[in-house]
This record gives sequence, structure tokens and C-alpha cells, in this order.
Amino acid sequence: MSLRLVRIDDRLIHGQVVAGWLRALGAKRIVIVDDDTARDEFLREVLTLAAPQGVPVEVCDVAGGAARLTQLAATTEPVIVLARSPRTVLALRQEGVPIGVVDLGGMGFGPGRKRLHRTISVSPDELRELRELEQLGTRVEIQIVADDRPIPFGSLDSGR
Amino acid sequence: MRAFGIVIAGHGTLPAALLSSTELICGPIADTAAIGLEPGESPDHYTDALRAAIGHGARRVLVLCDLLGGTPFNVASAIARRSPRVVCISGVNLAMAVEAVLASGELDDGLVERLLEVGRDGITETERHRTSRAS
Repeated sequence: MSLRLVRIDDRLIHGQVVAGWLRALGAKRIVIVDDDTARDEFLREVLTLAAPQGVPVEVCDVAGGAARLTQLAATTEPVIVLARSPRTVLALRQEGVPIGVVDLGGMGFGPGRKRLHRTISVSPDELRELRELEQLGTRVEIQIVADDRPIPFGSLDSGR
Repeated sequence: MRAFGIVIAGHGTLPAALLSSTELICGPIADTAAIGLEPGESPDHYTDALRAAIGHGARRVLVLCDLLGGTPFNVASAIARRSPRVVCISGVNLAMAVEAVLASGELDDGLVERLLEVGRDGITETERHRTSRAS
């Protein structure tokens, strides 16, 4: 088994995730892997409030997340994994977490960032990290909502 | 006279449309703002917009959000957790919005309870509603 949805989204839990993806996957658990959030009790609480009743939210740092996700990946439980950045997902992959596909769901535009697709922009570092993920055998796709047809990252990454 | 401000927070044009529809029922409404999250807008940018609408000072503000767990709710609940003068409710509908804008006096626990009740009470299906009216 592997994890059903590993999504990079700088908003973490939000409308597209709770109203769309949870239902589409029948997922009953959200695992957030983010070092900053794991350290911040207030952020953790606000994210827990964002999930519907009956959907536990676990917030882990990268080390704790790698252990927890390796455990969850061995079960059949549909889980949604959220991270803010490619760096986190790459670190999880390097720790041996089986991640077949990573979904780019929301990466905001800003100075020094290149727009790959409507709401998906990347910094030069993030671009490198995504390429490295693909070299490790993880498919990188853009799929904003569950009904969208996934767009392969390779088709938008002209620079390689 | 209502002693608190109201901000409707939600996705896209829903807040502006809900405010305009509420005015259709209640007439022109003072001290109410509608802040819509645009596609691609960052939570930080939305936080600034919502903070500006809530304003400074000691006045209490009720934020009515469209979707539990959506960015407008997440941002509003983070503000409310840090600022006791702000109250954040999710799942707003027209019945709740009308009740809120027509409320008089303070934004207290009693009013919050009433708004939650009015919001829920308006959700039914004709046959079920008919049966429960008959009994």
C-alpha cells in the first residue's frame, strides 16, 4: 500500500481539501508534516479546528512524520498528507516513506517565483527539489481539485 | 440598535452576493462588510483584508464564514482565537445572516446560540418539514 494523497499546499487545510478531497478519497484522517507548524501550538490548534467532526488531524515534524507515514502507508486506511513545501516531501522520501505520487495543490506566486500553472508557482530551490523527487521515482503532478485531470509536472517544466 | 460589526467571509463572490441578498430582505445594512477570497489569493493576503474589515478598537465584530475548514474560516478563527472581541461562526446561510443584521444590542453568548439555531432550523426538506409541522 502507499499513501492515497500526498499534497503540497501552502494553505494546508482549506476548502478544496475539506469539501473536495476528503470526500473524493473517503479519507478520515489528515496528517500534516511541517516543522514550523509542529513547533507552534497555536497554529496546530487552528488547523485542528479546520477539519470536520470525526476527522483527526495529526501534526508532525519531518522526523516524526516519516515514522508515522511509514506506519500508515502499510495500512489500507485512506489518509490525506499535507505539506507546505517540496523540501518536506523530499525529506520524507529520503527517509524511505513510500510516496508514489505527489500532488501540487497550491503554491502561491511571489517575488522570485515562476508560475508553472494557474495557482502553482515555484522558487528555483523548489524546482530542483521537485526534479529530485521525480528522479527518486515519485511522480509529480498538478491536480488542484479531485475532478481535475492531473497534469504531469514534466510537461510544464521546460528547463530540464 | 446593533452594537457590533458584521463581516461576511467566504469563497469568491459569495460574501458580496449574500450581503446583497440580505439587503434585499432587510433593506440597507450599516456596519457590515463582505470579504471574498479570490482564486489564488494567499491566506496572508486574505488575513490582511479580513483584519482591515474587522478594524481596530474595542468594538466587537461577528465574522460569518461560509465553510468550516475553508481558508476564510481558518483565517477568521485564528483571529478570533487571539482576539476575544471577535466571534467567528461557520456555515452562514441567508436565514442566519438576516437574524444577525437585524439583531439589537450586544454580541453575547445568547445571540451566538440563537444564530446557530436559526441557521440550522432553516435547513429541512419539504416533506419532513410538513410532517414535523403536523405533529
